[in-house]
Amino acid sequence: MSDGANARPNSGGFRFKVRGPRDFYGGLALIALAIVAIWASGDLPGMHGFAFGPGTAPRLFATLLAVVGALVALSGLLFDGPPLEDYAIRGPAWVIFAILAFAGLIRGAHLGFVTIPPLGLVPSTFAAFMISICGSTEMRWVESLIAAVAMTVFCVVLFVYLLQLPFQLWPWY
Amino acid sequence: MSELLANLALGFSVAAHPYNIGFCLLGALVGTLVGVLPGIGTVATVAMLLPITFGLPPVGALIMLAGIYYGAQYGGSTTSVLVNIPGEATSVVTCLDGHQMARQGRAGAALAIAALASFFAGCVATVVVAALGTPLTSVALLFGPAEYFSLMVLGLIFAVVLAKGSVLKAIAMILMGLLLSMIGSDLETGAGRMTFDLPELSDGIGFTNVAMGVFGFAEIIRNLEISQESRELVKGKIKGLMPTRQDLIDASGAIARGTVVGSLLGILPGGGAVVSSFAAYTFEKRISKNPERFGRGAIEGVAAPEAANNAAAQCSFIPLLTLGIPPNAVMALMVGAMTIHGIVPGPQVMTKQPDLFWGMIASMWLGNLMLVIINLPLVGVWVSLLRVPYRLLYPSIIVFCCIGIYSINNSPSDVIISAVFGLVGYWLTKHEFEPAPLVLAFVLGPLMEENLRRAMLIARGDATVFLTRPISAGLIALAVGLLILAALPMIRKRREEVFVE
Repeated sequence: MSDGANARPNSGGFRFKVRGPRDFYGGLALIALAIVAIWASGDLPGMHGFAFGPGTAPRLFATLLAVVGALVALSGLLFDGPPLEDYAIRGPAWVIFAILAFAGLIRGAHLGFVTIPPLGLVPSTFAAFMISICGSTEMRWVESLIAAVAMTVFCVVLFVYLLQLPFQLWPWY
Repeated sequence: MSELLANLALGFSVAAHPYNIGFCLLGALVGTLVGVLPGIGTVATVAMLLPITFGLPPVGALIMLAGIYYGAQYGGSTTSVLVNIPGEATSVVTCLDGHQMARQGRAGAALAIAALASFFAGCVATVVVAALGTPLTSVALLFGPAEYFSLMVLGLIFAVVLAKGSVLKAIAMILMGLLLSMIGSDLETGAGRMTFDLPELSDGIGFTNVAMGVFGFAEIIRNLEISQESRELVKGKIKGLMPTRQDLIDASGAIARGTVVGSLLGILPGGGAVVSSFAAYTFEKRISKNPERFGRGAIEGVAAPEAANNAAAQCSFIPLLTLGIPPNAVMALMVGAMTIHGIVPGPQVMTKQPDLFWGMIASMWLGNLMLVIINLPLVGVWVSLLRVPYRLLYPSIIVFCCIGIYSINNSPSDVIISAVFGLVGYWLTKHEFEPAPLVLAFVLGPLMEENLRRAMLIARGDATVFLTRPISAGLIALAVGLLILAALPMIRKRREEVFVE
């Protein structure tokens, strides 16, 4: 998803003032999304006699989204609204990194020239916990390690032993 | 009437099976346990706990999920009474007076009234669901593709009108949800649509991934921004669980009115628990002789929204069980669970699997009873759970969600998709877009497209079919009327007022 916030808020080049930047850039991002959708569904066949083709509905809704997005952006241009909020980097980055690490470790992954072997549930749960806890400013090492071990044990007991879900636990089998 | 009783008797004979009672109890218990945690809403709770029902027989699994749903909702109320942060959207209103009561040392009474109000509303709603089930199922037989499409349009318009903030932005969210739901293979031709040649997208995006990302991960990311110091947990021991006689007298009218409001709003597609609790609270405040008590610990301000949200939660099963249309995100998860067990939701469930249909309805009543039984004695446990600092809580939630998503299809790419939707959800809140209409549209998208295509094909490409068939025309007219009402300046101001409170 493209991010409307990275456009500089009226840095002098605008003849008019953006009154409601949240709506304005939000609307622009929706238009961008709609354009991507129209482009991505462009090669699909459309109406075929009375019948809808696979491309009809996506293009229909994407066009509507572009129109509504434009209206939202326009309302941001015309009406006063709150300023853009700052984006936190630290929290989201660690949280997303933790989730991706879980996805990459549990069954292994090929990232260009690096290959991660499938590590199984125990290491991936532990790693995801430790990575995500770094997102908090109040992180303490000892406490976190104990909690990570406890949570890993809890998840293994719950999902593997109680619910009998077929998970690989360790890297070696 | 006698038929109704016979059906309910069948239901109770199924639900009262020791296994099913066990599942119901377990569901209500874990639902409350997760629902109590601050920052996890009902949808995220049900999505998180979905995998634990996979191994059960169909009836047991659905009974347990229903239990989880009520439990999560009740857990959210507990949090909002004890901490000033609501556990989830439906408890925002309970927070207003409930937390004030708690600060005055009446947390016990607030929790007890919440439980009793929920229980009463649950009893009434069970009868409503049972009574409306049969007639609505026969209505469903009159519905063709055009009517289904119009009904879903109406549902989405309800979601727009009832979402907070701008109507235009809510419509944008609906369209975005519909568009996202179209990613993947086309139903009729199997052509890959908007998949960018990624094999992971060829089956479409799973609903649980979207829900978990937007309601789970995004919420955590946002909570990390807010300093957790602002959480004020009620200190001291909670004593005096039983409300006084005066409390009961004060609350009884509010409970009855809340139940009516909740049942009415719950049946409507797109409505549901959040709105009904808002509506019940505002209504109570308006008819009260001294409205200035509200917000300062009025017991009616706890009783009415709690009754309303429970009644609505239960009545939202009606469109799902009779018409096969999920009216909100939780019901969409129920559809997912039903599909996994090979049940196609819709009018045929009642005739083909009466034990499942009536068993579930009876289990609703049992579930509510369980809530009263387990919650009041366990308040101390929930309080100690709330003492767990957020810095340890959120990694646990993330890990649990990851394993939950992964376990549905054993697919790491599902986990990645939900991470992406976590970021999308974060971005949406930064621009004040409401995620609820998006998720509902995402759920209804495939059904809507299918019915739209069929209706157009049957009508030989004539789009006026939606206006010439009487039922469909009525539904569309209602939708347009609602939209105009919501856009009128006067009503818009009133709407903002309600949501600001």
